[in-house]
Amino acid sequence: MLNFMLLILIYTGIYALMAMGQNVITGYVGLLSLTQAGFLAIGSYTTAILSVTYGWNFWLTIPVAGLLAAAFGVLIGLPTLRLKGDYLAIATLGFGEIVRNILNNWDSVTKGPMGIQKIPMVKVFGYQLSPYSKWGFLALVWVFVIVGYVLFDRLAKSRMGRALEAIREDEIAASSMGINTTKYKVWAFALGAFSAGVAGSLQAVFTLSVTPGSFTFMVSIMVLCMVVLGGMGNFKAVVLGAFLIQFISYFPQLVGLSNVIPPQFKQVLFGLILVVMMIWRPQGILGREIRGYKPSKEKGGKR
Amino acid sequence: MGSMVEFFQHLMNGLTLGGIYALIALGYTMVYGILKFINFAHGDVLMVGSYIGLFVYNFIRGEVLGAWSILAFFLSMLVGMVFSALLGMTIEKVAYKPLRKATRLAPLLSAIGISFILSNLAAWFWGTKSRKLEYPFDNSPLYIGEVSITPHQILILAVVVVMMVSLKLFVDKTRIGKAMRATSLDQDTAKLMGIRVDRVISITFAIGSALAATAGILIALEIKVYPSMGTMTGLKAFVAAVVGGIGSISGAMVGGILLGLLETFGVALLGIPYGLRDTIAFVVLIIILLLKPEGILGKAEKEKV
Amino acid sequence: MKKVLAAFMIVFLIGSTALFAAGAAESPSVVKLGFIGPMTGDYANYGKLISRGAALAIAEKNATGGIGGKVKIELVIEDSEGDQQKGIAAIEKLAGSDKIVGLVGPVFTGVSFVVGERVQNEGITMVTPSGTHKDITAIGNYVFRTVASDGLQGEVAGAYFYEVLGVRNLAMLYVKNDYSQGLAEGVKASFEKLGGKVTIMETAQSGDKDFKTQLTKIRAANPDAIYIPNYVAEMAQILEQASQLGIKAKFLSGDGFSNPEILELAGAFTEGIVFTGPAKSAESDATKNFIANYTKANGFAPDSFATNAYDGAALLILAMEKVYKETGKLDRAAIRDAFAATKDYVGASGTINFAPNGDLVAAQGVYRVENKAFKYIGTYVISNGKLAEVK
Repeated sequence: MLNFMLLILIYTGIYALMAMGQNVITGYVGLLSLTQAGFLAIGSYTTAILSVTYGWNFWLTIPVAGLLAAAFGVLIGLPTLRLKGDYLAIATLGFGEIVRNILNNWDSVTKGPMGIQKIPMVKVFGYQLSPYSKWGFLALVWVFVIVGYVLFDRLAKSRMGRALEAIREDEIAASSMGINTTKYKVWAFALGAFSAGVAGSLQAVFTLSVTPGSFTFMVSIMVLCMVVLGGMGNFKAVVLGAFLIQFISYFPQLVGLSNVIPPQFKQVLFGLILVVMMIWRPQGILGREIRGYKPSKEKGGKR
Repeated sequence: MGSMVEFFQHLMNGLTLGGIYALIALGYTMVYGILKFINFAHGDVLMVGSYIGLFVYNFIRGEVLGAWSILAFFLSMLVGMVFSALLGMTIEKVAYKPLRKATRLAPLLSAIGISFILSNLAAWFWGTKSRKLEYPFDNSPLYIGEVSITPHQILILAVVVVMMVSLKLFVDKTRIGKAMRATSLDQDTAKLMGIRVDRVISITFAIGSALAATAGILIALEIKVYPSMGTMTGLKAFVAAVVGGIGSISGAMVGGILLGLLETFGVALLGIPYGLRDTIAFVVLIIILLLKPEGILGKAEKEKV
Repeated sequence: MKKVLAAFMIVFLIGSTALFAAGAAESPSVVKLGFIGPMTGDYANYGKLISRGAALAIAEKNATGGIGGKVKIELVIEDSEGDQQKGIAAIEKLAGSDKIVGLVGPVFTGVSFVVGERVQNEGITMVTPSGTHKDITAIGNYVFRTVASDGLQGEVAGAYFYEVLGVRNLAMLYVKNDYSQGLAEGVKASFEKLGGKVTIMETAQSGDKDFKTQLTKIRAANPDAIYIPNYVAEMAQILEQASQLGIKAKFLSGDGFSNPEILELAGAFTEGIVFTGPAKSAESDATKNFIANYTKANGFAPDSFATNAYDGAALLILAMEKVYKETGKLDRAAIRDAFAATKDYVGASGTINFAPNGDLVAAQGVYRVENKAFKYIGTYVISNGKLAEVK
């Protein structure tokens, strides 16, 4: 029971990282991207391949995972960000599928549908963090979440955060104010991808195995639900959203009712969350974080 | 068998695959043309319509034989269409209408939610097993030389053409079609001109959804009926609609056929690995949107400030 | 205000969970077995089909009063969605909350890998009815299977195709998933070792419905036979589209074909198809009774994976019975040892023995479709590198 609670918290942490990334893209810039599963996969496979095939240490693979995901973020961001909202959703959804197809078919590198097994466990100061002893792993994941939160929060308060919000509110007005909208959008995409890449890396060392089947469209939808439920444009809220969605997701198992509750129930619930939130509470549970840009606190204008 | 036979067989396969995309794309393009909004749930409405058609067909088919089973088939299709039309209108009322004035993101998210609800409810109540919809006619292949084509493939291509022409006539010539075009141009002005915009939108959804059911039941003959039958095919059909020029009815046909041919020849002759076959659609989408965002037959439109 | 509300919601959720969990305390007269498989998603039908096999074995035991005549067995089914993370959550829950003593499943190879690591750590006997990858049982001594590994099935199938059917040029069309690819590679290795030639090897993606492009290429290559080791929905499409393209070559398949659903979906196109599957102990009562009882209980017939799950669960129950009789307890390690000691058990899927690594040691059966029914052709093994029929 306690172990299961810890497991949910570990998954919450991994998804919170993804959700914060999604929040930059969707909550701040207002772009509907459906690729977090793809970036998660890139991060996971980077760690898996580097540590199993090339014997790298986990701590070296994690920045590579993040940067590689970010690079792909830029790569798909550059052409697709010029698309309008709905087209972007389809194009990014397509990208997620492409990643999965490549992982499934590039047998010589990714081992195809069989996936990669026996990923070495993480060592922290010579102490081995096994996924079986949950406390240590939980701490590891949440250190990343907290660091991520602090950085993202700083970012939101910075010039860039304001620029991103300006783009969301009115892209044409923003660009006429001299904001390089494409540059900022690509940055947002890269950051969102980076965060998901790191999450993927953590997931790989927790699962100790990767297969293409783990990175379906469902993952992207869950992340989106987290952001929408918690509240777009609020990093605290999306972490809360991550927890709530994971909690709902595993609720039947947690209370021992998984034999009674039909397995499709939670998926239907996710769908309902999207619809209901949009109609009655589009700002999410906590709502957008409104920052009063007081000149006394932060020297606005030039940095 | 020579390679010419192989080439023409691929051509035939590509054409009929494209026909399937075109059939679904018509419904997408219809709704998008009026509302400028991707109905993510279109593929799921298609699936529900196919299930209803299947149930009705299995119920009334009984011992009916010969030419009568075709009649039974079209009757089932009609029931499926009516049901889908009602479903589409309900979805619009419940999930999209309240969001008409919200941000662009809101209806999109709501549509994804509806799509998820429908496909999972279907899996919940009807199971995920593929169900067979029996051909109401003899589907043994016909041969032109050594190239084969089935009556079903011919039927799909024929229905696409008929549907395209009648839709075009409907939108261009009828009063309600005119109202639709007006709504598509500018909802507020249309309202001022005395057009009941809500009703027009409702009708658009009804027609779009009925088209989805028609497409679903026709393709179900070959691909069977199952909860996710509309998802990937629907997505590609959307790509086809965009490539052809979204909102353009003949564009849906052009885009669909083009995509079918590209997918078939891409892997058959250009040596693109099969694993990347689904990729072709999305790459084509991105290229078209960058080079000619309005699509092959679409009208260019300036972004409003 | 909003934050207070949110905090309140969380407290409420956690509180209600704790209450539920407290209510679900287990009674000592029940022992639990677990099942992990895809209960949602595109392959949910397999989860359903296979879990019913395990459920039947348990229901039959419970009808006699349970273990030792008094301890009832409960089957706890968890959904993996075919996803590794969900698989971990499932085994975590089964091991921690349900305290299962044995596990039937997981259904898929990828999930079997991660769950295998976890059961090995927890000391729970796991027996997969359908995870065919050769490395699964290498995880440790708690991991078993009642399905032939890809290597075993592929070796017999390849040799049978070459020697008995006289196939020399073989085409393959398989879907890129662990099961199909494993079998395709297994057959290719064995078939080519004997001197056969795999002239064309085409692939498809999970969920594909249109195989005409691949089939057109295969038609041009003009092979003696086409091997399609896939799941039912895909094979039905392939067979139908092959007939539309006028392909006359013989089709061959693996144990995925044993699902009677194929007869319904592909109808007349299945006629004459030869496939490998579990060996039957020549018309044993075990097999007949199982098929009859399963069909009666569920309204649909079992496939070979469901049969394997039935045998796996029955063997776990036998091991539990033995341990309970000897010690009066149900110790996990003792159950594992009793399970591993299985010898010449006559199950619904034939005579079962386990190799030291936990692999199933069994002969393979060959079937042919005749008049919309599976006809048993014979039982084959590879002994000393040669195909031999077991009479």
